[in-house]
Amino acid sequence: MKTFEEKWTAWLDGQLSGRELTEFEASLPDKAAADAERAEAKKLGTLLKRELSAQALTNDEFFSHQVHERIARESASQSRERYAEVSTWWTIRRLLWTGTASLAVFLVFAVFVIRDKNPAEPSQYLTQILNARVDPVVSPNATVSMFEAKEDRVTVLWTEGLQSLPADYAAK
Amino acid sequence: MARSLPLLTAFIALIMSAAADLHGAETVWSGLVIAENVAQPQPIPPELTRIERPLKHLFGYNQFQVIGQSRKTLQTGQEDWLATSKFFGLHVDAQGETEAGYVLNLKLYKEKELLLETDAKLNKRSPLIIKGPQVGSGQLLLVLVVQ
Repeated sequence: MKTFEEKWTAWLDGQLSGRELTEFEASLPDKAAADAERAEAKKLGTLLKRELSAQALTNDEFFSHQVHERIARESASQSRERYAEVSTWWTIRRLLWTGTASLAVFLVFAVFVIRDKNPAEPSQYLTQILNARVDPVVSPNATVSMFEAKEDRVTVLWTEGLQSLPADYAAK
Repeated sequence: MARSLPLLTAFIALIMSAAADLHGAETVWSGLVIAENVAQPQPIPPELTRIERPLKHLFGYNQFQVIGQSRKTLQTGQEDWLATSKFFGLHVDAQGETEAGYVLNLKLYKEKELLLETDAKLNKRSPLIIKGPQVGSGQLLLVLVVQ
């Protein structure tokens, strides 16, 4: 024994027939309203069927779609790798250039620093004579000069014209 | 153990201060040297072996004899001393220590007569040679070396 709701659903779907159909339609209080409702339900069903079938993919379409997606993915990955390789290669080259340029700048500065150093300036690694004087009364013609024998790391104060003394003065 | 700790600390401090003193103390050798050319030259004195080559090369003599010398160990860099022979005297007055050596005032006397005066920064690794007066056939040289 079907309930009213079951019979109503079957009637909407057009599954009632014969005596059952006649009896159900006779039991409807407003046949016109029921017909209108059935028409709306059919329309809705048709719409849903159309929309849902648009989303679904058949097997071959799905496979094709997958293949296309994979190709696109791999192409993108390959182009990224290529870009990465190119980028790395440029970085190394840039590093080489930077290194070479730095070395060149260093050499230029080194040359300038060495050139700028005054060769006449006394070396701090050698003894320096700050001043020297002789007694002008005792040795009026005496002169003093100074020089550094850099290879021997020796500083010399050289006097000329000091009063000569007899050999006796060499005594200990 | 508790009593030996201060002793150990004091001992280490003593050793460290002694080591610092040893590091700071340096000896300056000052010499009056007669350079001559002779037929049979004597061996060069050990104090001058370090500068034998420049002595011979620069002054052209083959014999160098020390007629007076002084070896002074400097503690403060403010000491003064005298190297003397029979007729000459070299007065050295240290006037301070620098990183490289000592600032010295040097005066060469012949008996009581001042012949030469100079101020120099004596480097620890660089000897100073001063050409003095002619003495007979030779030459008086003054040499200062930090040993």
